[in-house]
Amino acid sequence: MAIRSRRPGAKAALLPVLLTGTLALAACSSGGSSTTSQNGGTTTAAKTLVIDTSFDLKTADPGRTYEPTGLIIGKAAYETLLTFEGSDVTKPVPALAESFELSADGKVLTLKLRQDATFADGSPVTADDVVFSLNRVRDMKGTPSFLLDGVEVAASGADTITLTSKNANPALPYILPNPALGILNSKLAKEHGATADTGDKAEQYLNSASAGSGPYTIESFNVSSQVVLKANAKYWGATKPVYDKVVLRNVEAATQKLNISRGDSQVALNLSGDQVTGITGDLQIKKTPAANVIFLLANQDPSVSKITSNPKFAEAVRKGVDYAGLLELAGEGSVQTPGIIPSMFLGSLPQDQAAKRDVEGAKAALKESGVADPTVKLEYPSELTVNGLSFQPLAERIQANLKEVGITVELAPAPITTALDNYRNGKEELGLWYWGPDYPDPSDYLAFLPGKLVGLRAGWKAGADKELEAAGAKAATTIGDEARKQAYVDVQTRLNAAGTFIPLIQPSQNIVTAKSVTGLEFHPVWTIDVADLK
Amino acid sequence: MSPTSSSEDLKGDTARRKPGRSGSRSPLIRFLARRVLTALLLAVGITLVTFVLTNLVPGDPVSANLGQRALGDPAIVAQWRAEHGLDKPLPQQYLMHLQGVVQGDLGTSQQSHRPVMDDLAESVPATLELAGAAILISLVAGVAFGVVAALRRDRLTDHLLRVLSLIGISVPTFWLALMAFYVFFYRLQVTPGSGRIDPTMSPPPQVTGLYTIDSALAGQWDVFASAVGHLVTPALVLALYTIGLLTRFTRSAVLEVLGQDYVRAARAKGLPGRVILFRYVLRSALVPIITVAGLAFGSLLSGTVLVEAIFAWPGVGQYAYKSATTLDLPAVMGVGLVVGGVYLVINLIVDVLYGVIDPRVRLQ
Repeated sequence: MAIRSRRPGAKAALLPVLLTGTLALAACSSGGSSTTSQNGGTTTAAKTLVIDTSFDLKTADPGRTYEPTGLIIGKAAYETLLTFEGSDVTKPVPALAESFELSADGKVLTLKLRQDATFADGSPVTADDVVFSLNRVRDMKGTPSFLLDGVEVAASGADTITLTSKNANPALPYILPNPALGILNSKLAKEHGATADTGDKAEQYLNSASAGSGPYTIESFNVSSQVVLKANAKYWGATKPVYDKVVLRNVEAATQKLNISRGDSQVALNLSGDQVTGITGDLQIKKTPAANVIFLLANQDPSVSKITSNPKFAEAVRKGVDYAGLLELAGEGSVQTPGIIPSMFLGSLPQDQAAKRDVEGAKAALKESGVADPTVKLEYPSELTVNGLSFQPLAERIQANLKEVGITVELAPAPITTALDNYRNGKEELGLWYWGPDYPDPSDYLAFLPGKLVGLRAGWKAGADKELEAAGAKAATTIGDEARKQAYVDVQTRLNAAGTFIPLIQPSQNIVTAKSVTGLEFHPVWTIDVADLK
Repeated sequence: MSPTSSSEDLKGDTARRKPGRSGSRSPLIRFLARRVLTALLLAVGITLVTFVLTNLVPGDPVSANLGQRALGDPAIVAQWRAEHGLDKPLPQQYLMHLQGVVQGDLGTSQQSHRPVMDDLAESVPATLELAGAAILISLVAGVAFGVVAALRRDRLTDHLLRVLSLIGISVPTFWLALMAFYVFFYRLQVTPGSGRIDPTMSPPPQVTGLYTIDSALAGQWDVFASAVGHLVTPALVLALYTIGLLTRFTRSAVLEVLGQDYVRAARAKGLPGRVILFRYVLRSALVPIITVAGLAFGSLLSGTVLVEAIFAWPGVGQYAYKSATTLDLPAVMGVGLVVGGVYLVINLIVDVLYGVIDPRVRLQ
């Protein structure tokens, strides 16, 4: 039954016209955006830089910052006493300090403060600012406070700072470049509630405006969508900021790829190996092994697992894993990790000491273990990705590898908040995790020894391997680069022999930039320094 | 509470109405008062359910919020728990939260370290703008397509629209979002990229939080064009499912009304088809359509997570996802309260609209 009127149909026909009109408006808008972006390579882009990244961000307060995106922002807005040049993390160099010296016993670090550095408001950076800022980080009990645990900070005169530790602390020069230890304009911060104790109230202010001496200042800050930095017009350093404005956007990896391919952004930070493979056109791809080490953990506590605490079982696992296959999954730019210390740090093991797959050797070790047809549970965070690499395919590949050896692996993925509980409590039989560096010094990895933070998560109590623990204690207090290198090589060789941790790979950090962007260096701690980008 | 039962409440109230009573005792006001009271009770229920469920999830918020080193330091862990009130017994935590809600304070987010109200004030308008545009597109297109399909029953247009609506209902939204972004933004280059406006622009001065309206109010027409441009693709993607749904509902509702005696009578009287359609057919058919549209708007508001993720749209979906994965209890409860509140308000509006559209409801 039809009503004889064509008008409704005619009105409905207006709809496509309306939609087309709206799309046309979108296209006009797109044109504007596109022009800006395309100019991104030439004229306009000299003013604005758009960086797409998957936000891992909680705060812009340097004393509380510990997430990758926060460290990028902290590095741009604040300056530290020492820093690293480019991507070389083996040698700290002066920044706000003009020189530094570690005492022969490694307990006192003396720094001379530059006298020409100024904050964004034009006031000078003083020794008092340094003492306040570092004490604030230590005593506020925020996430990064452990960096200065037990370190006394004092100023003598207007330009000398001393950092005193109870025990030898040769890692301190490597810790000080962390953007969490950025120096605040203490007068300004105190006016907004900053105190050097747990009662500090300055975070809200520091999330809306920065109080540092870096080349950029914070214009706007939204923890889940976008952070805008603007050039510090009064920047004291020799290299002035190139961009008027830097926009960091929270964008999923798949969208990052399309944005940068189209010219809507100039930097994409989180593309996986697979995603960069198909990228063509006028884009630059920098593939660098990240400092994140993915490893397997075999619990040493017999009450948790009688199987994984058997040293021969751990040997079978170590020999049974197909490392080349894991690298294939991780993509070009990834490397196998011979020891737990990543390849770019002092004390890392040479590639020729990396474990190799030996199926027959693994079967023999399993036979020697006396465990017949073992079944173990492998726990890992299901939704976590490291440098774009998901744990799921890695776990599946390990499961398949060990099946060939005769070990049945039951996969037990869990959301990270759930998985972390078992991991922290040392209840995982077999675990697949990663460790990102807190600071680029090998001493950070002493946490893997018996009785230490990660060692305990593997059910490895203090006294479980006295020789290894003694080697670790020696490494912690050894002074001098060459001696330290040898000490940490020794620690890792012993650690590998023990078999509690099986280092697997360092995935590749893939950074894609527009051709117009130069000066990019990947950094293991702060990923990129915005001020490097030209 | 279903819209149907509510409409029955309204009918009942209206039926008991005594003529000549003053406006203050009008059944509509009594109905609204009762609904608001019920809504308040439901809001308390929502906070309780959200609180209990979030605390039942295995996992510790401390693990999700502190770094591995910090987790090893009991002083830092204790400080963090105290800072977020997690050192208190659960019932006390809940009562403190409830007390805050009454005072308009939803607590402080563990992830953003800001008041949840401030976070929601930023993210809710973004989602409202997106879902509002989507429902507008859905209503216009869905009703028009449904009417055309009914009028052209079993003809080619009807078959085509049926296929289109089935596609709209069947295709997963995340896939459609990815494809739309790829095709229109990357391949055809006719739509702008992700986000709410061009990254080189500053947001308009906040009045409503809706960039399209705020930029128009401020006379920033370049920002307005950018905001509309950025809105089109995600809104269309989000709308497609609802268009399919509304097309199907409208078609069957219109067909049902077309078969009624009064429509035949109107036609016999020689009334023009346009008048019959708008005055008799569409008006009667609107009741089920409004029910579906109301529920669809609610689900659009709460179901934009994937579209927001793909288009980097800083809305409440992304905020809720991040809050849930980090066990950010105050934020999760804040989002639960807002989404629940939106459903309650929409149901209320739908119930009132029944009476406005259909005089029979008022007269019963």
